[in-house]
Amino acid sequence: MASGPSKLYADDVSLLVVLLDTNPFFWSTFSLQFSEFLSHVLAFLNSILLLNQLNQIVVIATGCSSCSYIYDSSSDSNPGSEFGNMPRLYSNLLQKLEEFVARDEQLLKAGKQGAIASSLLSGSLSMALCYIQRVFRSGPLHPQPRILCIQGSPDGPEQYVAIMNAIFSAQRSTVPIDSCYIGSNNSAFLQQASYITGGIYYRPPQLDGLFQYLSTVFATDLYSRAFLRLPKSVGVDFRASCFCHKQTIDMGYVCSVCLSIFCEPHKKCSTCGSVFGQAQLDVASEASRKRMASDTKWCSGSNDKIGTGIVEVCVKSACRSVVGCFTGFLGM
Amino acid sequence: MPQVKIIAKNFMDMVASMPAMKLDKLYDNGFICEAILRSMPPLGKKYVLQMLYIDVPVTSKSMEEWVFPDGFSKHKISIDRLVQLRVFTETFDKKKEKSYKINPVFQRNLQKLLVRGGNLPREPMPSNIVRLPSLEDLEIYALQQWECFLLQLISSNQAERPTNISSSLMKVFQRGLMSYRDKEAPKLTESGFQFLLMDTNAQLWYIIREYISNSEERGVDASDLISFLLELSFHVTGEAYNINTLTDFQGSVIKDLADLGLVKVQQGRKESWFIPTKLATNLSASMTESSSRKEGFVVVETNFRMYAYSSSRLHCEILRLFASIEYTLPNLIVGAITKESSYNAFENGITAEQIISFLQQNAHPRVAERIPSVPENVNDQIRLWEADLNRVEMTPSYYYDEFPSRDVYEGACDLAREYNGLLWENDKKMHMVVTAEVHSEMEKVWKGSIPHPQQRNVAYWGNGNLIFVFIIV
Repeated sequence: MASGPSKLYADDVSLLVVLLDTNPFFWSTFSLQFSEFLSHVLAFLNSILLLNQLNQIVVIATGCSSCSYIYDSSSDSNPGSEFGNMPRLYSNLLQKLEEFVARDEQLLKAGKQGAIASSLLSGSLSMALCYIQRVFRSGPLHPQPRILCIQGSPDGPEQYVAIMNAIFSAQRSTVPIDSCYIGSNNSAFLQQASYITGGIYYRPPQLDGLFQYLSTVFATDLYSRAFLRLPKSVGVDFRASCFCHKQTIDMGYVCSVCLSIFCEPHKKCSTCGSVFGQAQLDVASEASRKRMASDTKWCSGSNDKIGTGIVEVCVKSACRSVVGCFTGFLGM
Repeated sequence: MPQVKIIAKNFMDMVASMPAMKLDKLYDNGFICEAILRSMPPLGKKYVLQMLYIDVPVTSKSMEEWVFPDGFSKHKISIDRLVQLRVFTETFDKKKEKSYKINPVFQRNLQKLLVRGGNLPREPMPSNIVRLPSLEDLEIYALQQWECFLLQLISSNQAERPTNISSSLMKVFQRGLMSYRDKEAPKLTESGFQFLLMDTNAQLWYIIREYISNSEERGVDASDLISFLLELSFHVTGEAYNINTLTDFQGSVIKDLADLGLVKVQQGRKESWFIPTKLATNLSASMTESSSRKEGFVVVETNFRMYAYSSSRLHCEILRLFASIEYTLPNLIVGAITKESSYNAFENGITAEQIISFLQQNAHPRVAERIPSVPENVNDQIRLWEADLNRVEMTPSYYYDEFPSRDVYEGACDLAREYNGLLWENDKKMHMVVTAEVHSEMEKVWKGSIPHPQQRNVAYWGNGNLIFVFIIV
């Protein structure tokens, strides 16, 4: 749904959906304590609420086998008042977070015993987009939404398709995805997410000043982004994961019908069921010949015409040029 | 057109114009810091957040590098605003380079807010002691109270139940809006009429500003008043707060505010409490028009008839400013916009633009969806009626006579035509009128400093007489 952002609200009113990585496998091995990390993030969240009384924050925790909403400022009736000796934002969020981590741990134990190092980013991205869609449909008056992923654990290649789908739907509804990646290597998923949706990808070089990075880079509302120099991404890792073994590859085989990616040649596409190697001449009816014709691809190397078949391509999402064709397969 | 200035923007401008000493004192209160932060332009807010934990001055040159070249004007405005509000202080180093530093008091308070959250000086009372009105009831109460106040403001005898605002305070509010002539009923001035056509928030700002600027005369420190008003705007709408927690000064202010509809005061068996309404909590908000929009009630038809679904006497009074009211039913006011009624409005200093924007802003939801919400023919006609009144234009010009010869006269006429400034001529009597700008040009030619464009020999040493010509447009 293309929802045109309404100009009725002031320019800088924002709805910020924060995806918080709570993966215990990552935090147990990371140099920065989770509690210290939280204190930076909480101050950042509070500062967003401070900037405008119409600003809204939603926090979603990304665990390793589940994800959940842990804070929503619109349902928090009294954000300013104090509870104990902490602002209510902090105490509410921390309590929900604790419950979530305990539940996530139980789910992990109940599930199969495989060492999963990645978090369920696809799940929390989808939840964030669902929330934003609900806001879009609630009426003409809504703040400008954006998503911020604060992620540390490495990418899970098995989530590739789900994450890419979420990214494209965010792109369609013009919701930028900002990524603050604190892990050691760059995250290819988040780089692509921010690149495609027009968000900011940034990896803070020093983590003890995390609040300063968050407030300098990620607190910028969408209106001010047109005027401010913000970090630009240099070199995005566009590699994809194959559908058969969930490996990250940069060259692979693509079904010419549904564009599924495989790391090795197959006789039949496991996604759409097309059988490769069928000679085009065998097709009898006129109608299906037309359909075939539209599926015809051209090999960019030798300029050969390829019918229904499996082709070897560069699978980087920005490139997708066909590098080889298997004429033998096609029987042509 | 008379220039009438009613600027009811927001009182941050007023805060900004306060002397430095008082401003610094205001920043001792964390809520004021928050309200000030929220009132700033988006870039300004961003800069404050960015500088919040930086203790050393940042040079203006390096700040300029934060923005793209096309955002530079916005950057400049934001920085100026920050300096004006003394949130940023300018310092110059040895090389005379300008750098900025965040106000330490402001900085400390904001940091405290971030880490520990805001802390109101009073807690809401538990709901088992007080019975709270519903939010809708509260809003209706607030608007009723406000309308009652306005009605009393414009015609003191019409209010059904007079508010408790002392007549001296009422006079203060009326200053500028009403004119008192001896032995005559007070009349609304031009700004008074315009005031009535503004939306509620703008009116509220105007009144609050008058209230604050008058505070010194009543022996109250303006900064105390501002800080209390801002603090009040951070209370939660619809929660009850004990009046005992207020100082004597604040208690007296609360009474005035209750009359304006900003708070509702209730009396229990032992204690009394106040409940802030939406009007109060909107005070510190950087208000956009839409956040304060209420449902409209006026339908204008293409035959100039106007139906207003309202039972409010105030609405009736406002509509009477520019329309002739034919009859009022319990929930409906019927009238028509006529030539006479709009002339009446124009005479009182209301412009066609204001009438139309009032009709548009208060359009009934059924017609508000239509574009335009006011029929085009009505729209155009109101503007035409206004244009009718401005048919005469005054042009300073010079009257020439007693030319020595017809030759000189014709030369001068041609010259004036050349400059496109000949207003009137009479060949028989050899008289002509030229505009003032052209006269000064022509003078140069008479004096020979510029040759005549057609090489005609002109020698006229008269000066012409300054007159005013009225041109009917």
